Amino acid sequence: MRRALLALLALLLVGACASFPENPPLAHYDKNAGYRFASLAHPDNSDSLFVIVTFSGGGTRAAALAYGVLEALRDTRIEWQGRRESLLDEVDVISSISGGSFPAAYYALRGRKIFDEFPERFLYRPIQSDLLKLALTPTNWLRLAGPSYGRSDLAADFYDREVFGGGTYADVIARGRRPFVVLNATDMTSGAQFPFIQDEFDLLCSDLAKVPLARAAAASSAFPGGLTPLTFRNYAGSCGYEQPAWVALAAADHASRVNARRTARAEVRLSLAAPGPARPYIHLTDGGVADNLGLRGPLDAIASVDHSWSVMRLINRDRIDKLVVIVVNAATSPKSDRDETASVPGLIDTLSTAAGVPIDNYSFDTVDLLKKTMKEYGEDTKLVETCNRLSAAKGAQCALKLDAPHAVDLYPVQVAFQYIASREERRWFQNLPTSFELPRETVDRLRAVGRQLLAEDPQYRNLMRALHGCLAPAGGSC
Amino acid sequence: MEYVKITFPTRRLVYIDDEEGGYTNTVLRVDAGTHLFSLGNVANFRPASRKVTVADTSVLEPLEVKFFRKDDA
Repeated sequence: MRRALLALLALLLVGACASFPENPPLAHYDKNAGYRFASLAHPDNSDSLFVIVTFSGGGTRAAALAYGVLEALRDTRIEWQGRRESLLDEVDVISSISGGSFPAAYYALRGRKIFDEFPERFLYRPIQSDLLKLALTPTNWLRLAGPSYGRSDLAADFYDREVFGGGTYADVIARGRRPFVVLNATDMTSGAQFPFIQDEFDLLCSDLAKVPLARAAAASSAFPGGLTPLTFRNYAGSCGYEQPAWVALAAADHASRVNARRTARAEVRLSLAAPGPARPYIHLTDGGVADNLGLRGPLDAIASVDHSWSVMRLINRDRIDKLVVIVVNAATSPKSDRDETASVPGLIDTLSTAAGVPIDNYSFDTVDLLKKTMKEYGEDTKLVETCNRLSAAKGAQCALKLDAPHAVDLYPVQVAFQYIASREERRWFQNLPTSFELPRETVDRLRAVGRQLLAEDPQYRNLMRALHGCLAPAGGSC
Repeated sequence: MEYVKITFPTRRLVYIDDEEGGYTNTVLRVDAGTHLFSLGNVANFRPASRKVTVADTSVLEPLEVKFFRKDDA
C-alpha cells in the first residue's frame, strides 16, 4: 500500500513538473541569419512574377481546401520569361492561419513531397479523435495538471511525432528555397499577429531554427476553448538586438497620428523586445483571433516599405512586374434555425455569435482592403499616363512629362465557398464543421472544389491569359 | 499610399529607413509617416540623410527630397 502511494506521489510530482518545451535563446543577433525572406534562394523563381498565397483557418476543412489549391497551382502550366513552368514554382510567400498552417508548414518542410505524404499523414486522419484520446489518457492528466503545460503542448507533441516527423525550422532553412512560409499565431497580450519568422523571434532574442514546426502549427491552431494557448520564453535584451530604423521613427509619429497602423506595428515590436524582459513569457493563441485569413502580414508587406519582406520596396526597385495574391478562405456560413421561433437565443448560441461575427466581418474588410490597396497600385500609374496623354493632346506646348512609379499588373484572386455557383453545393460547403477530422469523401470534395474555384476566379483567368497558362483538369493535362 | 521623388544629379540607389528602397529621380511609393532617406554607394552627397514626414502627397505631385553632390555649391 505504501509503495503504491509513493508511486502515485512520484507520478503526481512528475506531472506537476511537466512544463512546455522552451524555445532556445539566440546567442547573438545576426540580421542575415535564420529563417528570413531575403536569405532564401530562388534560382528558378523570378521576382518579376511575385505570387503570395494565403491559407485561412477552419480546421481540416481549411487544410483540405488549401491543399486542393496547392495541387491546382502545381498543375498550372505557365510561360514566363521564356520558360514553361508550374505556377507553384513561382510562389514566393505563403501566409497561413490555424488549419491552413498544416499544409503550409508541411510544404515548407517537405516541398513537393507534400503531394505524396500529406493526405494520409494529416487530411484523412482522425486527428481530433487522436487528440481526445491523448487528453483522456491518465498519464497525460498528470502532465496537464502542471500549470505551464496545456492541451496544445500535448497536441504539439502529437503533431511533431505523427505529422511533421520531428521537423524544425532548421530543416526549412536547410532547404533554403522559396516560398517563404509564414505561420501566424496571435499574441494574447497585444492582440497582434505573431508570425513564426526569425524577424519576430529576434525581438524575443530566441532562435527559431530550433523550434519544431509542430509547435508553430499548434500555436497557429490553438482554437480558443478547445485548445490552450502555447507559451514561449522571451529573452529580450540578451542578444544585442537592434530594432530596424523605422521603428523609432514610427513610434515617434504616435502623437501626429500620421500612420496609426505603422505606429501600432512599431509599438508591438517595442513591447516584445522591451529589455528585462518586460514580458518574460509570451502566450500565443490561434492565429484566427488576430486575422483568420493570414492576409494582414501580406497587406503590410504590400502597403509599407517598413516590413521584413516588403513588396513595396521590391516594386520601387523595379523588381516586380506582376503581383498575384491568392486568398484561400475556408469560411463557412452555417444554416441556423434561430429565426424560426420567438425563443430567446441561448448562451452558447449568443457567445458563438459574439466570437464568430467579428472575425467574419474583419475578414470581409481585410479582403476589401487588399482589393483597394492593389487597385491603388494600378490607379496611380494610370492617372499619370492619362494626364500625360490628355496634356499632349492639347499641343506640344501643353504636354506634361510626369514621371510614373513602376507599373505593376495586379491579380487579387479569391478562393472561397461563397463563389460556388450552384446554390445547393455552396450550402453544403458552407455548412461543413470546423474540426480536425472529416470523412475522406468530404476531404476529396474540398480538394476538388479548391481547384475548381481557382480555375473559375476571374482574376486567375486574366492571369492565365497573360501567362499563356493552363490549369489541367484533375488527372489530365493541358 | 504616398509618393516621393529623391533627387540627385545621377541615378543612385535610395535607402529608405536604412533599407534599399528604390532609385533617385524616379517616383517611389512609400507609406505615410516619418522616414529617413539616404543614398547608397559613394558618400559624395549631402546631406548624409534626411528625415522627412511624408503625408498628403499625390502621384502627380510627389514630395521632393533633394540631395546634392558634396562638391557642388
